[in-house]
Amino acid sequence: MEQLLDYAWLVVALPFAAAVLIGAFGKLMPLKGSEIGIAAVFVAWLISLGIGGYTFVNGPIEAVESSLTWAPMGSGFEIQLGQYVDGLTAMMLVLVTTVSLGVQLYSREYMHGEERFTYFFAMLSLFTFSMLVLVVANNTLQAVVGWELVGLCSFLLIGFYWHEKPNQDAANKAFLTTKFADIGLIVGVIVLSAGVAQTGSSTPFDIETTIDAAMGGELSTATIVLGCLMIFLGAVGKSGQMPLHVWLPDAMAGPTPVSALIHAATMVTAGVFLVARLYPVFAQSLVVMNTVAIVGVITLFFAGFVALVQDDIKKVLAYSTVSQLGYMMAALGVGGYTAGIFHLFTHGFFKALLFLGSGSLIHAVHSNNMSDMGGMRKYMPWTFATFIIGSLALAGFPLTAGFFSKDEVLVAAQIWGDAGFTMGTVVFWLGLAGAAVTTFYMARACFLIFFGEHRGVHHAAVPTHDEHADEHTVVEHAVEAEEAEAAAHDHAGAVSSTDGHDVHHGSPHESGWQILVPLVMLAVLSFPVGFAGGFLWDEVGGSTERNFETWTATHDIEETTYPFAAAAEAGAEGGEAEEGHALAGADGEVLAAGALAAEGGEEHGESLHVLHGAPEFHLDVFVYALIAFLVAVGGAWVIYGRGMPARDPTFRLGPVTTLLVNKYYFDDLGYRFVVVPVRDKLSPAASWTSNVVIDGIVKRVGGAAKRLGAVTYTTLDQKVIDGGINGAAFSAAWWSDKLRRIQSGDVQRYAGALLAGTIVLVLVFSAAR
Amino acid sequence: MSPLGPLILAAFLFCVGVYGIIARRNAVLVLMSVELMLNAVNINLVAFNNITHQGDPLVSGQVFALFVIAIAAAEVGVGLAIVLNMFRNRASIDVDDVDLMRW
Repeated sequence: MEQLLDYAWLVVALPFAAAVLIGAFGKLMPLKGSEIGIAAVFVAWLISLGIGGYTFVNGPIEAVESSLTWAPMGSGFEIQLGQYVDGLTAMMLVLVTTVSLGVQLYSREYMHGEERFTYFFAMLSLFTFSMLVLVVANNTLQAVVGWELVGLCSFLLIGFYWHEKPNQDAANKAFLTTKFADIGLIVGVIVLSAGVAQTGSSTPFDIETTIDAAMGGELSTATIVLGCLMIFLGAVGKSGQMPLHVWLPDAMAGPTPVSALIHAATMVTAGVFLVARLYPVFAQSLVVMNTVAIVGVITLFFAGFVALVQDDIKKVLAYSTVSQLGYMMAALGVGGYTAGIFHLFTHGFFKALLFLGSGSLIHAVHSNNMSDMGGMRKYMPWTFATFIIGSLALAGFPLTAGFFSKDEVLVAAQIWGDAGFTMGTVVFWLGLAGAAVTTFYMARACFLIFFGEHRGVHHAAVPTHDEHADEHTVVEHAVEAEEAEAAAHDHAGAVSSTDGHDVHHGSPHESGWQILVPLVMLAVLSFPVGFAGGFLWDEVGGSTERNFETWTATHDIEETTYPFAAAAEAGAEGGEAEEGHALAGADGEVLAAGALAAEGGEEHGESLHVLHGAPEFHLDVFVYALIAFLVAVGGAWVIYGRGMPARDPTFRLGPVTTLLVNKYYFDDLGYRFVVVPVRDKLSPAASWTSNVVIDGIVKRVGGAAKRLGAVTYTTLDQKVIDGGINGAAFSAAWWSDKLRRIQSGDVQRYAGALLAGTIVLVLVFSAAR
Repeated sequence: MSPLGPLILAAFLFCVGVYGIIARRNAVLVLMSVELMLNAVNINLVAFNNITHQGDPLVSGQVFALFVIAIAAAEVGVGLAIVLNMFRNRASIDVDDVDLMRW
C-alpha cells in the first residue's frame, strides 16, 4: 500500500493523458470522447482512494516526497517537478477525483447534444489535471503552474458559450480578477523563496524547506509577513474572498457541471488549500493570521446576505459558496487548521451536490429562476431528496457533513477567542450569524423550488427585484442581461437533449440515471465525510487515533507553534483576570493541554499549538448552532412555506434590499473605480506610452541605426575599402603601362641590356671577392 | 711566345663584334659581328690551350675551336636564310624594322 503513494503522479498524469486523447481522437470515439475522460478519472479515483485509505489508516504520516529536476539553474540551484504526498494531499486527491468523476458522468447527460461536447470533456479532464498539479506540488513554483492552468481552464469553461457577449465578459472578468490576484501569489512565492535561498538552500521553492526554515525561525518577520500576505492575495482572488469575489457569481455563466466542479468543489478551494499547505509559515505571524481571519469573516458574513435576494438558483449557490469559502479562511485565520480544511472537504461534496441538483432542476424547468419553479417535489423526487440532503448539510443540520465541519470551525474560533485573541470571538459570533443566514437562504430556496405549485416558465417575466432597481447603473443592467442569457443557454442546452417533445408546456420530468447517479453518490457521501471528522466518530465505530485530524495532520503541523501566542498570553494575563482564568495559570499549560494540542502534556506553554486535537464537542456551540438553524428554518417556513409570496419580504427592507440587490455595489465600484479608470485613463496612457514613447524610442533608435549605416556606407565602405581595392587595381594598371615599354621588340636593345647586365654582374662578383 | 698578343687580339675582336651587334642596322653586318665574336672566342680557346696545357697531345682547345667553326658555319647558314626571307617579305634588312614582337 505504501508504494501506492509513490504513484500519486499517476493520478495527475491520467487526466492529462485523457485530455490529450480526447482532444486528438475524441470525435472518433463512439461516445464522443466522454468515455476516455470518465475511464481516466475513474482509475485516478481508485488510486486516490487507495492513497486516501493508506494515509487515513496510518496518519499522520511523514510526507512522501519525490521529485525530478525540471530546470537546473546553475550554482546548485534547481527548479523541481515533484510530488509531495501527505494527508492533506491525499484528502484533496480524493475530493477532486470524486467530484470530477461525478461531474463527468453527470455531464454525459447534461451536455448531451452540445456541439462542443468533446471539447467540453477535454477541458474537464484538463481542469482536473491542473488542479491535481497544484495539489501534489512539492514546491511553490509548481503550485503556481497548476494555479495558472486552473485559471486558464476556468476561463475556457466559463466562456464555454462564447457566442454570447455576456459569457465572454464573465470569462474575462474571472480571468482578469484572478490574474490580478495571481500577481500577489507570484510576488509572495518569490519573496518566500528569496528568504529561503538566503539560508543556503539549493531548492528555495521547496515547500518542506520553506516550512522548516519558517519554523526554525530562519526567515525574517518581514519576509514572512510580506510573503504570506502576497500569497494570501492570490488566495483571495482564487477562493473568492471579498473584495475579489466579484468574478465568482458571474462565473455561473458557464454550464452547470462546470459550476459544480470548478466554482464549488475544487478550483475555488485552491486558495484555501495553498494557505493550509503553507500553514506553518502563516502561523508565524499574528498580522498574517488576523488578516486571513478578517477577510474570511467579512466574506462569510456579508456574502450570505446577497444570496437572500437572488432569484437565480445558481446565483444563490454562488454567493453561498463565497460565504462558505469565507468560513474556511476564517477558520484558518483563527488557528483552526483542521477545521478549515475539514469544512473545505465536506463543502466540496455537498456544494457539488447542490450545484448538480440545481443543474437537474434547470434541465427540467429550462430556467435558472426559482420563480419559475415551485412544487418540484412532485415531479422530481430524486432530485428533491438529494437537494434537500445537500441543503441540510450546507445549513448544518445535525449529523450532516456541514454540521460537523461548521461546528468545528466555531469551536476553533471559540478556543482561539478563549486564548485571548479577540479575532476568535468575532469569528465565532459572526460565524454563528452567518450560519443562520445560510440556513435561511437555503430554506428559502428549497421552499421556493420544491413546495407550493409549479409556476412554470414565463419568459416575459421581469425579475421581481427590478422595480427596486430603478437607480441601477449600466453595470447592473449588464449583469441582469447576463443572467437572462445564462438562463437562455441552459435552456438551449436542455432543449436539444429532450428528444424534441414540447418542453414549454409539458410538466417537468425527472432527469436520467446519468444525472441521478452522481447526485445520489454525493448525497450519500455527505454523511460519512462529516462523521470522519466529527466528535461522534468514536460512537459510530471510528477511533480517536484515526480520524480526519490525524489524516490531514502532518508532523510539521503537529510541531507548529504560534510564536506570537506567548506575548498575547502575557498581555491577556496582565489585562484581565477573566482572561487569566481562561488561560489557567501563569504558564498557560492547562490551556495548551486541554484545548489546543493533541499531546498537551508535552507542552511547555511558550506558545500555542495548531488546533488539531481530537474532535471536540462544545455543548454551547451545539446549542447556539441548533437555535440558529431552527430559527432560520422556522422564519423561512413562515414566509415561503405556502409558495412564493407576492412580494418577497427580502425585497421589502428598503435601503438594505437596495444594497443587497446591488451586491454591496462591488460591481459598480469595481466598474467605476477599476474598469472606468483603466479604460479611460490607464489604457489611453498605456497606449500613448506605447505609441509615442516606446515607438518613438524605437523609431529614434532605428533612425540612428539607419544614419550610422549610411555614414558607414559612404565613408568606410565606399571610401576606405573600395578606395583601397580600386587604388591597388589602378596602381597595378599604371605601373604595368610604364613597365610594358621595356618590351620594345628591338633585339639590339635586348642585347645591350644583356651586355650591361653581364658587366654589372661581373663587377659585383669581382667586388664581392 | 707571350700569350698576351693573342688574348689582346681576341678581346679587341670581341669588342668589335659586340659593337657591331649593338650598333649596326644592317642584318648582314650583325651576323658578321657575331662571327667576329665567335672567332675571338676561337682565338682564346687556342691561346689558353697553349698556355695551360703546353705539350698536351690531346690539343682539346684546337679541337673545340674546330667544333665552334663548324657550328658557326651552320649558324651563319640559318642566319642568312632568315635575312633572305626578311628581305623577301619586307624589302629591307634593317633590324630596326623587325619589331613585331613588342607591346
